[in-house]
Amino acid sequence: MSTLDGPTVSTAAPARALVARNLRRVVRLPSAFFPALLMPVFQAIAFSGAFAAAIHLAGIRNSLDWFVPLAALQGAGFGAMSIGFATIIDIQSGFLDRLRMAPMPRRALVAGPLAAAVLRAVFPVVLVTAVGLIGGMNVPGGWLGLAVLGVAALGVGFVAAGWGLGLAYRMRSMAAAPLMQFAIFTAIFLSASQMPLALMSGWAKPIARVNPVTNILRMARQGFLGRVTWAHTWPGLLALTGLGLVTTLWARRGLSSVDRI
Amino acid sequence: MRTAPIVATGLVRRFGDVVAVDGVDLRIEDGEIFGFLGPNGAGKSTTVRMLTTLLIPTAGQASVAGYDVVRQADEVRRRIGVALQDAAIDPLMTGRELLALQAVMYGLPRREHRRRGDELLERVGLTAAADRRVGTYSGGMRRRLDLALSLIHRPTVLFLDEPTTGLDPMSRITLWDEVRSLNREGTTVLLTTQYLEEADQLADRVAIIDHGRIVRQGEPRELKAQVGAPTLWIDVDAAQSVAATEALARFGELRPAAEGRVGVGLGAGASGVAEVIRALDERGVGVRHLELHEPSLDDVFAEATGYHLEGA
Repeated sequence: MSTLDGPTVSTAAPARALVARNLRRVVRLPSAFFPALLMPVFQAIAFSGAFAAAIHLAGIRNSLDWFVPLAALQGAGFGAMSIGFATIIDIQSGFLDRLRMAPMPRRALVAGPLAAAVLRAVFPVVLVTAVGLIGGMNVPGGWLGLAVLGVAALGVGFVAAGWGLGLAYRMRSMAAAPLMQFAIFTAIFLSASQMPLALMSGWAKPIARVNPVTNILRMARQGFLGRVTWAHTWPGLLALTGLGLVTTLWARRGLSSVDRI
Repeated sequence: MRTAPIVATGLVRRFGDVVAVDGVDLRIEDGEIFGFLGPNGAGKSTTVRMLTTLLIPTAGQASVAGYDVVRQADEVRRRIGVALQDAAIDPLMTGRELLALQAVMYGLPRREHRRRGDELLERVGLTAAADRRVGTYSGGMRRRLDLALSLIHRPTVLFLDEPTTGLDPMSRITLWDEVRSLNREGTTVLLTTQYLEEADQLADRVAIIDHGRIVRQGEPRELKAQVGAPTLWIDVDAAQSVAATEALARFGELRPAAEGRVGVGLGAGASGVAEVIRALDERGVGVRHLELHEPSLDDVFAEATGYHLEGA
């Protein structure tokens, strides 16, 4: 049967196929994946050593409790953002044209890469959390604390992937790569990522206070600093939902800009 | 009246100040192989990208398979197969995986993926390499896989953008055979090429494009006939050159002669050769060697553009 008479192509099937393609790349091109996998572990170890004394001032005895969730979020963000690099390669090699010439819904070209990016982000999050647990990280929030970290980290991965994808579709060259990283780095740096808000002073504090990433970090860290509460969860969820919607729209509009060439 | 599979009217595409395609008119009939001939940068690929919904025309209109390429892009996509200039194939995937991906993209039922993939792999002679990563394929294999991918959904119109560029002669002939075979099965083919021989061998009609404009369009034989009569070159004894020239004069325009070699443009075409031989024989001129030189598409190209096509 030809597709001439066939049903309209769904969004789910092509999106799943694109997820499978992206995950296959992880296995077949591990050199492109390992840096994103190992960097959060390095950061967790380095930061928890370097800033241990400062963190103790906030009453946190084990600096891993503070820095492992941060490393998990960074790992998820930078890992997922690599979907933007992969998309630029697809654009430059002409593979995206092959996908665009297919009669599938355009949303599959956003949903597939986003889903793949989130799944890729699972690996660094699991690894850095495992290293933290082995290193003696406390988890007073128990399984719920770990689950909330997972939600926060994968949510950050989703947001970063949407940002990277939108930028890739708009710029269509590797010139987009530094911009992708810069935005994620800045958003995390200008939050309560390194120090608790209470210890911050100067120009950084008011920015960190309104930065939605601070709420996401508070949500992610709560299970490692105490019990999980709704009060520490909903602002993070709200931030992730808002940022997720904005970046998904950004990615979808980016794809439309390719179609308008 | 049924709409022709590919119709373009006044198609224009600008990139900033650069006019890549400047008012192209095309009408390609059902079951034709249409050759789009021109040098690099002439506007061939840009035209194809507009016809295959990848680029929006700046002006003009085009329909493919009866559907407008801008307003009904998805309908067009369901009916066309496209192999673009650089076979855009993920080198990390195997041939079989790529065919399966393509099948999903075109909405083929799941139970058909494997069967259709195997069928196409066999058709293009890649069954043995089906489970190898495409990165290990030769250029010819990649082109054949690209062709197979473009056929996954049994398109009625096939676009091949410079399908044999960079291929060795054997791979080129294999691909030509496949294109002919697809055409015999009823597929309309638009083929862009910078190879004159390719257009001559494959195309029922050709359009010559230069600087974004179509400068000649028609059947290769007609176009060549418009350039001039075929030239008959005859090698004779040097001493008989004058007699030979006198004998040839009544058959058409004489070509500049060299010692022992005379030539005439045959107004009556190739059918006049026998008459020429008889006339020479009557004058006692012995013929050592003769050759008939038909005008080539390169002559057509040169006549239309003022320069010869590179790579001809």
